[in-house]
Amino acid sequence: MTLPSFTTLELTLADGIGQLVLNQPPSNMMTLEFFREFREAVDFIEGNPEFGALVISGNGRHFSAGAELKSLHDEIRTGSVVVDGRVTEVPELLIRNFQAFLKIEKFQIPVITAIRGVCLGSALELTLFSHFRFCGEDAIFGLPEVSFNLLPGLGGIKKMSSIVGTGRTLELVLKSNTFSAAEAYEMKLVHAILPRRELMTASIGFARSVMENYHLEKAGLYLKKYFA
Amino acid sequence: MRDDIGVITLDNPPENYLADPDFIPLEILRKWTSADSLKGIIIHGAGKHFSAGGNLENLFAMIHGKEDLMARMKAGKAVLDYLENLNIPVIAAIQGVCFGGGLEIALAAHIRICSENALFAFPEINHGIIPGLGGTVRSAQQIGHRKSLNFIMAGDMINAGEALAMDLVDYVVPKSKLLDFTYTMMQKMTQDRPLPVIHAVMEALRNAKTLPINEAMQEETRLFCELALAESSRKNEP
Repeated sequence: MTLPSFTTLELTLADGIGQLVLNQPPSNMMTLEFFREFREAVDFIEGNPEFGALVISGNGRHFSAGAELKSLHDEIRTGSVVVDGRVTEVPELLIRNFQAFLKIEKFQIPVITAIRGVCLGSALELTLFSHFRFCGEDAIFGLPEVSFNLLPGLGGIKKMSSIVGTGRTLELVLKSNTFSAAEAYEMKLVHAILPRRELMTASIGFARSVMENYHLEKAGLYLKKYFA
Repeated sequence: MRDDIGVITLDNPPENYLADPDFIPLEILRKWTSADSLKGIIIHGAGKHFSAGGNLENLFAMIHGKEDLMARMKAGKAVLDYLENLNIPVIAAIQGVCFGGGLEIALAAHIRICSENALFAFPEINHGIIPGLGGTVRSAQQIGHRKSLNFIMAGDMINAGEALAMDLVDYVVPKSKLLDFTYTMMQKMTQDRPLPVIHAVMEALRNAKTLPINEAMQEETRLFCELALAESSRKNEP
């Protein structure tokens, strides 16, 4: 099977385990072009029987610093419909972006995000739609949108509140400061913290174990045993 | 009100029993919260306790005196619904006892912070009644149906650590730091934030609770675009 090739990300497949790597180092910014290729990659993986598991990570030191705001602002300025000061229609593109996130969540294969370095804004939102979040000891998380007078707009509030609860979500979003791997683990946002060097191997190893031994529904229990 | 943060004190010491189900008349609350500068509300109890809840004698007197109990309870519920649906954050700072109606007030807040000596209970069942100000609904939402059922049916008291473990509260802090911790958190959340941004976050959070995921995300994206447009036009102004 020939995999599509991309410029802002890399999609590979080995022994049934797909790897999607955000590939615009050092910060792996999520540009409009990235989102376009990301949607294409998601559509390619969806329902493809060759993929038994998917691991998403970032090339280099960081997962991703999130969405690139300038082009996003331009897109919104030209693509929104405003009636009496209220936005009634948003650019189609933005809807397709969150639909791609929702597709990942509904994949019938385990999706794991392996998070090194910074994981901010839309990048953190992306990880919320994966089934398992593993991070390196050095990982730094945050939803900084409010400090730019925006809000997390790709499911960050919806998903975050179902994972860490309403109170914590409100605090994190409004404070919009960063938090550490340990804090993320304490609020049950990530499932495991691993030494940075072992993160990829462990994530792929876990993906393989889940793929070979268990149905996705049972993987939560499996996780406990695996990292016990 | 201090800076842009409003404080509601349950002030009927020592136990801060609630004389009426509508512990603040809705009209007064509405007027007070309509201040343009208000960015957040802290609810706490005067003295050693948050609140021991409804005054049972009053309550049973209301029943026997054929006062319109339903109407009073409805008014109480309206006050808590109003607090929960405010588009600014509400934090409950809880020390000492937080029982029954007191706990129902705390559950209407968006964030609950308690001191190490806090105690929580829905004792209603021991008097042959149940939490009647939305406590059954909000506790199920907050801690899940199973834990909520056990908590309400048993009528037992739990301590701060247990409340944290079952997600009834968000933080436990030393008693002497409770108000400082709460106030600092609220300041960090609201100080540099324009009101429209706070309002949008509150709306998105409310949607997260009430709407299915597709619609909630659609709305989140729409609110994002609204803020982004406001920001663009602000930047383009000289």
